[in-house]
Amino acid sequence: MVRNIVVLGGSSHPDLVNTVCHLLGIPNGRITLSKFAVGETRVEIQDSVRGKDVFVIQSGCGKVNDHLVELLITISACKTASAKRVTAVLPHFPYSRQSDIPYNKTGAPLSKAPTYNGGKNDFTFESRPGTPGPMDSPGLGVSHGGLEKELSRIALERGADGGVNGADRGKSHPPTPLRRTNTADSPSAASSVNVNEWVPPKGTGYKQWVAQAGTLVADLLTCAGADHIITMDLHDPQYQGFFDIPVDNLYGRPLLQRYIKYNIPDYQNAVIVSPDAGGAKRATAIADALGMEFALIHKERRPTRITDRQNATMMLVGDIAGKVAILVDDMADTSNTITRAAKLLKGKGGATRVYALVTHGVFSGDAIDRINASALDKVITTNSVPQDQHKRLCDKLVVLDVGEVFAEAIRRVHHGESISVLFRND
Amino acid sequence: MATNSVKLLTGNSHPELAKKVAERLGIDLLDMSVFKYSNQETSVIMRESVRDEDVFILQSTKPGEELNDGLMELLIIIKACKTASARRITAVMPNYPYARQDKKDKSRAPISAKLLANMLQKAGCNHIITMDLHASQIQGFFDVPVDNLYAEPSTLRYIRENFDYKNAVIVSPDAGGAKRATALADRLDLNFALIHKERSRPNEVSRMTLVGDVAGKIAILVDDMADTCGTLVKAADVLMASGAKEVAAIVTHGILSGSACEKINSSKLSKVVVTNTVPHEEKKKGCAKLETIDIAPTLAEACRRTHNGESVSFLFSHAPV
Repeated sequence: MVRNIVVLGGSSHPDLVNTVCHLLGIPNGRITLSKFAVGETRVEIQDSVRGKDVFVIQSGCGKVNDHLVELLITISACKTASAKRVTAVLPHFPYSRQSDIPYNKTGAPLSKAPTYNGGKNDFTFESRPGTPGPMDSPGLGVSHGGLEKELSRIALERGADGGVNGADRGKSHPPTPLRRTNTADSPSAASSVNVNEWVPPKGTGYKQWVAQAGTLVADLLTCAGADHIITMDLHDPQYQGFFDIPVDNLYGRPLLQRYIKYNIPDYQNAVIVSPDAGGAKRATAIADALGMEFALIHKERRPTRITDRQNATMMLVGDIAGKVAILVDDMADTSNTITRAAKLLKGKGGATRVYALVTHGVFSGDAIDRINASALDKVITTNSVPQDQHKRLCDKLVVLDVGEVFAEAIRRVHHGESISVLFRND
Repeated sequence: MATNSVKLLTGNSHPELAKKVAERLGIDLLDMSVFKYSNQETSVIMRESVRDEDVFILQSTKPGEELNDGLMELLIIIKACKTASARRITAVMPNYPYARQDKKDKSRAPISAKLLANMLQKAGCNHIITMDLHASQIQGFFDVPVDNLYAEPSTLRYIRENFDYKNAVIVSPDAGGAKRATALADRLDLNFALIHKERSRPNEVSRMTLVGDVAGKIAILVDDMADTCGTLVKAADVLMASGAKEVAAIVTHGILSGSACEKINSSKLSKVVVTNTVPHEEKKKGCAKLETIDIAPTLAEACRRTHNGESVSFLFSHAPV
């Protein structure tokens, strides 16, 4: 019975919630989301959920931690209000991968101040950082106060748009997010350190490691009371195994495939390119489905002294000379991967046009600036993450609507029907 | 005697308190970094081993936009230590967040304090140390042991040293805090009074009446937390109108959000004393009436005693030297 369904929207993506409710033919679930004076999240649900099938739609974008806590509290509130089943719908799943430290335009990590002692520093252009910015005196242990100040300073600089640096375009100096200094009041400390010269504290022999929050988020969702998860294009499909509850990992691929078929002229002669080795499987699946050629960009991880800094460590495997190249990836966050790939494809590769198709267009930090200045001709993404801001700042952006996919999934899950139709390849 | 050592970790919520606790314990904070990626996800990097160690993670609530960030930092650090094979993980939360959302007082209200308890335990926490929980029944939300420390001994010492307390009256600004205020009044052998208030909306107070006598005395308002300070300011007005010589406020958690500092400055309160469970150093610049009671020694002592397997009950009636 349609009347037994309630769709509640979090504050991360109201447009998608409206689309889904409209397609389902039900009114939006009435919910008020705000914060108490102290900063604690406040959730008030006006509709009754007793005995109902509740879907809470929240994407892991923008202020990720705030949205995650909002989602958890909403799920918990529905559970204690005797909802029959609570499903968490996360178009973009947060903490599903280990993110990159932000980089500036030349590819050096922005975990230090952008003023360098020229010549002495050797940079690598790996998109995955080896070690984050070093500490001046390792072992001090307290790098927190400086970070806090830096983050609040950055927040003030960036404004309230969730991290897109459009406002800074007029400035001559590159934006400086996340400068990690050792002490709260020594901005000069960061400028003299070099990411490749970090030496671990003597005598420990201990290799530092980054905490993975993946299982934690899965556990938190389960313990808040979610009975079911619906998401799209998880970075690792194995992530479904972290849960004890059913997870529906929808595919964004049919949407992207349809775009290629109907919007890229002469697509059979184009080449699908994977911007890194990890995404090869993803790219070959699309290439096979559409009967197209495939190529791969391989990044070498050895730091080298290089003259042609941008491309020396990236190799193109396959041939795209004189062809249209279509980059395919699941996510574009800092957009380093796709912009550097585009440069390689147009430069050494000889491609005529370069498209980038990504499912999740997070575009955090100065990614939009980077895309605008890059060799990419068009970037196609979905609205799993809100794209209004990004579209205003980037002419190359095309946004595909995933509202239909999620609305159909929710409808079928609610009625207990199969959703395999959404996994078809046509 | 323990065979492993104490490791003290902290996030970004209250670095000053963490430093003080570390100093008191005679150790360094663990070498680690907690920051945010550009997509706003939190990252925790550990540079020391915690395998088989007794880990204490100090994280309080930071009022403002970053409160939920502090919460996620705490959960991720707990999980990180769990996967790093720490022997025991204790979360030291001087101020427990979402403590006021502890009951379903209207339809579909979330019991966020219970959710947080579940999340902490799910992340891998074995023990909680906190101070002056808003409702001590929150201890029952946990299956792991919870040490609810008291700021009362430190508060007592402060009153004895800084007030002409023989001429004072302990006043509770609401009926809920009567128990707390009477306990303090008994220890100091002073009279007690109560202010009865009606609350129409959260963070808003309407009418207040005084029960008891404060004429010619120093009225000391005692409460567990001061958030928007609407309660304290109105209470001060009522007490001065009832003939009190001076009105001061002593609260454990000085959250002081929104325009609290302006309210205090323009109020009849002579001073507002808070402990450093919640960071507030910035606010002191704008509010001369604000003073701090340092409870870092209490927290450090609790950690030390927990690690050594000694009794913590000493701290319920004595402030560490």
